[in-house]
Amino acid sequence: MATFLLIRLLRWSVGLLLILFITYAMMYYGAGDPIRMMFIQGEDFDTEDEVVMLALRKKYGLDEPFLVQFGNYMSNLIQGDWGRSIRLQVDRPVLEIVQFRLPISMQLGFAATIIGAVVGIGLGILSALHHNRLLDRLIVSIVLFVNGIPVFVTVPILLLLLVLQLKLIDVPYGWNGLFHIDAVLPVTVISIGVLPIIVRQTRSAMLEVKSQQYVTTARAKGVPESRIILRHMLRPVLTPVITTLGLIMIGLINGSLFVEYILNIPGFGLLTIEGIKKVDYPIIMAVAVVGTLIIFVSNFLVDIIYPILDPRVRA
Amino acid sequence: MSESAPGGKISRVVADGVNSGEQRSLWQDASRRFRRNWLAVGGLVVVFCFLITALVGPHVSPYDFLEQNIMRAFQGPSEEHFLGTDDLGRDVFSRMLHGARTAALVAFFTTAISLLIGVLVGTWAGISGGRTDEFLMWISDLIQAMPGLLLVILINTTLRRPIINAFDTLYMQTRNPFYLNTLWLDYVLVFSALALIGWPGLARLIRGQVLSINEEDYVLAARAIGASEAHIMLRHVIPNALGPLVVAVTASMGGAVTLEAGLSFLGIGIQPPNASWGSMLEEGRRYWQIFPHLILIPAVTIGIVQVAFVFLGDGLNDALDPRRTT
Repeated sequence: MATFLLIRLLRWSVGLLLILFITYAMMYYGAGDPIRMMFIQGEDFDTEDEVVMLALRKKYGLDEPFLVQFGNYMSNLIQGDWGRSIRLQVDRPVLEIVQFRLPISMQLGFAATIIGAVVGIGLGILSALHHNRLLDRLIVSIVLFVNGIPVFVTVPILLLLLVLQLKLIDVPYGWNGLFHIDAVLPVTVISIGVLPIIVRQTRSAMLEVKSQQYVTTARAKGVPESRIILRHMLRPVLTPVITTLGLIMIGLINGSLFVEYILNIPGFGLLTIEGIKKVDYPIIMAVAVVGTLIIFVSNFLVDIIYPILDPRVRA
Repeated sequence: MSESAPGGKISRVVADGVNSGEQRSLWQDASRRFRRNWLAVGGLVVVFCFLITALVGPHVSPYDFLEQNIMRAFQGPSEEHFLGTDDLGRDVFSRMLHGARTAALVAFFTTAISLLIGVLVGTWAGISGGRTDEFLMWISDLIQAMPGLLLVILINTTLRRPIINAFDTLYMQTRNPFYLNTLWLDYVLVFSALALIGWPGLARLIRGQVLSINEEDYVLAARAIGASEAHIMLRHVIPNALGPLVVAVTASMGGAVTLEAGLSFLGIGIQPPNASWGSMLEEGRRYWQIFPHLILIPAVTIGIVQVAFVFLGDGLNDALDPRRTT
């Protein structure tokens, strides 16, 4: 068991390092000279600036060869120095920006996951219990339908409907905390994004469990149906759902990118887009690091949790 | 066998059993199952219309999709402009038609490139096995574990400048005017970025197919009676692998359309003046409270096409997998 986890950890860490290396190389060769970018507002800069730029380049260690720079970046990263923003919020430490932005997205994502999980598991179980009957077909079709529509289509249509037509809410804009009315729309939309994964997984797990012999035995003994579902079926159903954590996280990140961009919520997703649009390379690196880390950690967590929940997998 | 054979399901099954001379191929079976699923048929019709629009739409568009007329900006739907005009007075309907072509081009090329890489890597991994297999699958795992959108955005922004620079240098050296035209650059960048995150799924699928079908009893049986490897490939492996592949390709095309619209919506994909549904959505977003039609038209279109792709894929999945009973 320990060796299994160790190998897993090694695989994920090497993978993480590889992805950071590629990202860094892409920024290094692709994004252009960051120091020059600090100066360019329009197109013109004079020779005097060249001297200043050389000095600045030396100061930030940007005159070193590529591999040295990457090594420096990694060692700084581990020590908590993530560099400074060069264009978005000039000279502000990137770590500070991330520490401010990430919790907003995490709150949104957390709320959305809880809602998505409760509704999704409920719908999945309901659907499996009515297998091949009208309710099941309805749930499956609706989930497919919802799954098809991208977030950047849902939000504008919902805005038109709720704000312009029904006049139910004001235009949600910015971030006023999770329990403000403005957070309802983003949380709902992001949770809709993760719902289909959960419903599908729950439904297929439930269908499999339903025909197990211990369920038939329990039923034969006269155990009430509600108790069978809660005591005998829920755990084997929830176990495979946990494995989709990585997928759910990807859904959350994708969802938050668009939702935060449209509703101007200053979270991690908006930071990504702002950083990319302004070619603020320390920000882009940080975003890549955090995004990849989130996915990798959740995949690793699944590797750890799964054997605990399902004894059959234990080696 | 006629569709409207008298008698119910049971009599048909019995008849099939008795009259064993009659054979139905996998595809006839699949099309029978597919036609029963009206959601999937609807999806197929919409996708077909979308592809036709992409093909002929730009040639029959009433106006030039780039023609601006500030005097006629922000018009609602009228006889002159079927879907109204946008902030620069461009005809929305004509722009939608061109956007369809953009979306279809992206869907086609992205899927073609990912399929090519996927087939190569997948068969390579499946056939060679061992270390090579493990390494290739590790790479595809890594790419799939990354948040795809993030990766696409990253590739799209970082590759643009080096390519433009390279072409500038090439122009300086050769004075070939071909290197000055970079209008297609957006397209190439979007294709390659989307294909890069698309191939691992297909490669994994193909590898799985190659591995599992080679293990099947009917392949062993065919081999035992002395069938040639080519015969096994053509008659057994490819037909059996094709079903899941068709489903995956449909999903890939739908996904590419969404991602392209999403990227263009964020201002990173297809850049103006090229028309894309995503960038139309973004342009319309600035005026959504006053002129909702500018945002509603592209939003509803993207939604309909996406849902159609999803239902089509799901229907194909059900139809092509004989083991699935739902």
